[in-house]
Amino acid sequence: MTGSGTVGRAALELDSVSRDGGVEVSPALLKIEGLSKTFGGTRALIDVGLDMREHEIHALVGQNGSGKSTLIKALAGYHHPDPGARAWFAGEPFELGSGLQHGHDRLRFVHQDLGHVLELGVMDNLALRHAYVRGRFGNIRWAEQERTARELLGRFGVDIDLHRPLAEATPVERVVVAIVAALQGWDGGGGVLVLDEPTAVLPPHEVAQLFELIGEVRRAGASVLYVSHRIDEIFQLADRVTVLRGGHVVATRAVADLTPRELASLMVGEEVDPDFRAEVPAAVGAPALLEARDLRARYLNGVSFTLHQGEVLGVAGLAGSGSEQLPYVIAGALGREASGRLRLPGRGGQWTDIGPNGLTGLALVPADRSREGVVAEFSVAENLTLPILDRLRRGVAHSKSRETALVRDWVQRLQIRTASQDAPISTLSGGSQQKVVMARCLALEPSVLLLCEPTAGVDIATRIALYELIARQAERGLGVIVSSTDIGDLLAMCTRILVLRDGVVARELDGNQVTQAILHHAIEGTDDE
Amino acid sequence: MNHTLSSPENASAVGAPAVGAARPDVAASEPRRRAAARVRLPSALSFRNIGAVYVWLAIAVIFAVWAPATFPTWTTARQIMNENAATGLMALSVVIPLCTRTFDLSVGFVASLSAVTASYLIAHGVPVAAAVAIAMGGALLVGLINAGVVVVMGVDSFIATLATGSLIQAFITMMTNDIAITSPALNGPFAKIGQARIGGITLPVIYTLVVGLVIWFVLEHTATGRRLYATGFNPESARLAGVKTARLRFASLIVSALLAGAAGVVLASTLGSGDPQAGVPYLLLAYAAAFLGASQLRPGRFNAWGTLIAVLLLGTGVVGLGLVSAPNWAPSMFTGVVLIAALGITGAKRRALRRGRRARREAPASPPQT
Repeated sequence: MTGSGTVGRAALELDSVSRDGGVEVSPALLKIEGLSKTFGGTRALIDVGLDMREHEIHALVGQNGSGKSTLIKALAGYHHPDPGARAWFAGEPFELGSGLQHGHDRLRFVHQDLGHVLELGVMDNLALRHAYVRGRFGNIRWAEQERTARELLGRFGVDIDLHRPLAEATPVERVVVAIVAALQGWDGGGGVLVLDEPTAVLPPHEVAQLFELIGEVRRAGASVLYVSHRIDEIFQLADRVTVLRGGHVVATRAVADLTPRELASLMVGEEVDPDFRAEVPAAVGAPALLEARDLRARYLNGVSFTLHQGEVLGVAGLAGSGSEQLPYVIAGALGREASGRLRLPGRGGQWTDIGPNGLTGLALVPADRSREGVVAEFSVAENLTLPILDRLRRGVAHSKSRETALVRDWVQRLQIRTASQDAPISTLSGGSQQKVVMARCLALEPSVLLLCEPTAGVDIATRIALYELIARQAERGLGVIVSSTDIGDLLAMCTRILVLRDGVVARELDGNQVTQAILHHAIEGTDDE
Repeated sequence: MNHTLSSPENASAVGAPAVGAARPDVAASEPRRRAAARVRLPSALSFRNIGAVYVWLAIAVIFAVWAPATFPTWTTARQIMNENAATGLMALSVVIPLCTRTFDLSVGFVASLSAVTASYLIAHGVPVAAAVAIAMGGALLVGLINAGVVVVMGVDSFIATLATGSLIQAFITMMTNDIAITSPALNGPFAKIGQARIGGITLPVIYTLVVGLVIWFVLEHTATGRRLYATGFNPESARLAGVKTARLRFASLIVSALLAGAAGVVLASTLGSGDPQAGVPYLLLAYAAAFLGASQLRPGRFNAWGTLIAVLLLGTGVVGLGLVSAPNWAPSMFTGVVLIAALGITGAKRRALRRGRRARREAPASPPQT
């Protein structure tokens, strides 16, 4: 167990020992037993039990489809559980799923989509969730409203402009506002705040801010049920963890008694290594595939590099460092907002300018799957063939039979789990959708593949499958550029990593420098160099 | 400590996957597959898919009972088709831009413009072919302006085409002083375009069917169609996947202007005059039909046959009401009621379906999950 013991945790461990030794020390704050939920013929939750103690940060983990969200929704009162479920809050029984879309008042929820109106400011978003302060004529008393909002934010040590639209706020500010909004009208004392994957969209350095706030919430007297599938976070944050798999609770443990590897294996149901490293040989002496010179854009101030055949090149950096922009610039997706020159030695080899020419034709897996990646209204097949429609022509017409054959082939090769290739893509899990986007890019038979946040919202087993897939492609000579805010992605695949700061390459790591500690310090700018 | 804490869970951690995780997988996929088969088999004829056809049949039956002498006759059928050909053409003109989520609200005005232009030129002795070509040239010009304002300048299409429509109407009024152009010359060869019949069916019906066929082919059976839909559904995803979204939106506005121009020529030829307001009443009908059509056949996608079915549905009711000498407010009321009913029913059906799908998605270990 590596360096995760805090004072709070030590105390809780003692507590759990005595409890498990048969002495009931503190009654569970929230206790659930025998919770099952059946959809049609499918059992999403099977006899699930959960107990949360006071002042506890309790993690709930599981792969996509393990029943996490169903459990959260049953708690929140969106789903009515099957008969037989029992629940207590501080010893008082209450009914799950009752009360017209509202759960127990002591249970507060921040769902993954946060539920903000992005065009409105912090104050309005807080008030919309709770209530506006009204005058006699139903008019809003703005001055008092502002004071209330300020007080509320102050309680959790949050300092944020009340009137700026949330669309302009940073991701972590949005999460923070959602948490504060959920806690409105909660007067301290026992309560449970449920956070559903709050870090899914957060860059790493902002996660620390969020964790501070979660600490504040705990100090204010609440317990936190923290849903995530990022294993490292569980070990940083949680006291205990409950693991769901296939609708069953497979374990509830003190985090201190687990190793990351054990936890990953519990989630997946077989031996899994969260520190998985794909075997990509360093591309020493391989011919150059792509040369980029003087790339410039809003966050890039002149980046040059060369990508070699069979190389998986990582791009790391804080938000705003330019790392997240780099693949888009190379793909030509930013149009005239970007400039620079590219050369593909394997394809003619003349220098071309980025910008005025639009897309460069290099395959891009975008960062935001739902907004930039898939077309939600399209089927799996339609999504997969979107960039390669020209190859499926027969005369002027689109050949459905060729499309079917091609899609069948890719679905099989990448083991995409879908009911059929005509199923709407929105019925697939995040990991499967990502595979479809990946397949679409590989079907272009590119020489260079550009990946942004390749494993965002992808569970650990699929994540490793994607790493292996990319490693296999690199073995065949594909050059890959990976930009990710998840250090795990870079460590798992990359043989060389460019660390950007302020739009320039601050460090280049390769060989045995590619380790978590060195990379972390290089990204944060706390390295010696 | 470790032992006492974890032994029960360890047991389940080892034992559960074999029994617990594997079984729901099998149990879940079986009923799901059966459910899929149950839905798919009659789906081509299901109410959800072609609800408008059933509503249309119901209306036809009602009028056949109400006016047995006049309604169920070949004459009435021909009348319905002939009277709605121009509406059909107008409705088809907005389908392509709508696929890319672009509104062209200028189509009514473009139709008026080409009707007036063609009539004016023919009344002044220009040969029919040249007059029609110039009228279509005018429509093309409007299309280019629309596309320029919407795609190049980036103005919201709803407002931009409303604005250009207003400009067109100003231009028409300037030229005609809002007086319809009439001339004996309009009853010559020009009248054939809209009035010539083949087996009792006027030519505009044929034009409409041909245009419908072409749009259906493009949308359903070409890469361009797929790209048009992608552009409408998620422009950013489409663009990053290499779809030239700006070009498609540009082209879609040219297509709508040209089709509206053609509809205007047909209207002028059918009426034998160049009415400065000829196209305007068709605008809302065109959109009504296109949206109702998008709930048919390919739910969620604007499509040609769905649109024409909707035109037929609305047209049948209006003609039928005329035959039973309903009061003059009846046709508008009928249109409103049918639109709300048809869209409401299909919308409700689809929402129910989505809910079911969502519920299934949340279930664990069902086939589409990883």
